[in-house]
Amino acid sequence: MTQLMAMPEHAATAEPLAIEVSGLTMSYGSRQVLRGVDFEVRSGEVFCLLGPNGAGKTTTVEILEGFRQRTGGDVRVLGVDPADQRARLRERIGIVLQECGFPRQARVAELIDIWRAYYSAPRPLEELLALVELTADRACQVRRLSGGQRRRLDFALALAGDPDLMFLDEPTTGFDPESRRRCWAAIENLRSLGKTIVLTTHYLDEAERLADRVAILQDGRVQTAGSVRQVAREAGVPTTISFTAPKRLRSGDVAAPGCLEVEVLGEVARCRVPNAAVALRELLAWTAAHGLGDLDDLRVETPTLEDAYLRLVDGRSR
Amino acid sequence: MTTLGRHVRLSVRQALHEQRSFWRSAEYALFTFALPLALLLLIGSTTAGGFLPGTHVKAQMIFVPSILAFGVIVAAYVNLGAKIATLRHDGVLKRIRTTPLPAGAYLSGVLGSTAATTLAITACTAVIGWVAFGAVPRAAGLAEIGGGLALGVVCFGSLGLVLSSVARSAESASPLANATYLPVAIMSGIFDPTFSVPRWLSAAIGLLPVRALAQILQQGYTPVEHAPASDLLVLAGWAVGGGALAVWRFRWQ
Repeated sequence: MTQLMAMPEHAATAEPLAIEVSGLTMSYGSRQVLRGVDFEVRSGEVFCLLGPNGAGKTTTVEILEGFRQRTGGDVRVLGVDPADQRARLRERIGIVLQECGFPRQARVAELIDIWRAYYSAPRPLEELLALVELTADRACQVRRLSGGQRRRLDFALALAGDPDLMFLDEPTTGFDPESRRRCWAAIENLRSLGKTIVLTTHYLDEAERLADRVAILQDGRVQTAGSVRQVAREAGVPTTISFTAPKRLRSGDVAAPGCLEVEVLGEVARCRVPNAAVALRELLAWTAAHGLGDLDDLRVETPTLEDAYLRLVDGRSR
Repeated sequence: MTTLGRHVRLSVRQALHEQRSFWRSAEYALFTFALPLALLLLIGSTTAGGFLPGTHVKAQMIFVPSILAFGVIVAAYVNLGAKIATLRHDGVLKRIRTTPLPAGAYLSGVLGSTAATTLAITACTAVIGWVAFGAVPRAAGLAEIGGGLALGVVCFGSLGLVLSSVARSAESASPLANATYLPVAIMSGIFDPTFSVPRWLSAAIGLLPVRALAQILQQGYTPVEHAPASDLLVLAGWAVGGGALAVWRFRWQ
């Protein structure tokens, strides 16, 4: 019945769901790891699962991938239940695990080629090499590759079967900034191919940069989910407005606008506000009223995902 | 394409891939071959031409097939066990599990590659045994040799898989393999057919697959006095039991 009701809604938004999770629970013995997880991943989006260690990210992803049997709840991945149709699902998903080796003697192109043989409709070898920028290293022995190159080879192998959905588990952990950037570029390439991507990461800047939507998992539940901006708003982290304090404000000739809590530290005046637009209107009216001219170095800093995350996660655990 | 057809195609493809990587690591391939062949030459140079005490059986008709059996054990048990333990340790098995490749196709591919390596080692052993020491199999014994080798690969290959699962780490797989087969091989008379052990121990050794395989292969060279049927039974029993245990205990990570 829920199926029938859900179908027209998805058709109306024209965004079929790649993953639907509702009421997902998982217990290891008496320890309950997932206590009713709900979220959706739309086709073609980059979805990021965040959360502190032990929140249940890995367990959730392993259930979606079909590696683990759930205790309860409903899970649909590309329209099938991963617990029942693991083999069928394997054809259509690509998985990049966090730490996974290569056969020691293999060479890049030959390894991708044998991986292609595992799938019924693989992507062409040359295309895979180009996508992950390893064309020049095709004859290179895998053990001679750098960390970043290895990760890109991981991507190529996960892409070999031309999957509709990819799981990336902490793809840039331990990378230097340059390798991270190239890895991000590879992920953006995947997105431009129309792949749905489920990403787990500890790096909030990474999530902010790559994800269309995020979900924060804590204590076995989704604490909040939505676009990065939505999550930041929901966390209630204020926007910071700062500017160089006019001399007359610093000397006390002019009082700060009453409705804003402006604190002046040295030359810089700063206020934290829930709504930047309203606050800016107040501020500009105040400068005009007192003839303070243009405010120098006016900056509006919207909260980052990191601010929101820390607030949500710390607020709960402390 | 039928499921079975796809299975077979994937196994063959995997076996070829494994063979290519085996031969690429020249050092590894060399030592896999060097050990049995060096022992063959060593034993042969001291005992060839003589007769087994109290018999009219030439020594080479016994030690050449014994080394054939030894080659099977090294390639299928020691090498395969260590290789799978390494692949597991490196996370390669875990990665393969994320693909639609059926576990059966992967394992039969790996076993197929092991069979090819074993065949190469035994062929070298047999040719050197023939050229250097004049040990020629009986025409009527080729069935024993072929059947013994095939059953031996399955049996010791399965035990190698079990070994890889039992070993705590990739590093411990090789020492564990050596520590298990070497004493049995010595007591089974692989290196010295006159090696004598107490009666009860000999009975116990008779239940293990090492002497069983050696005796089946010896039978292919010269008719000797023992019961080939019981050797076949022992080897087949270990192949079935080992195979079941290998599948049951197999871990991807």
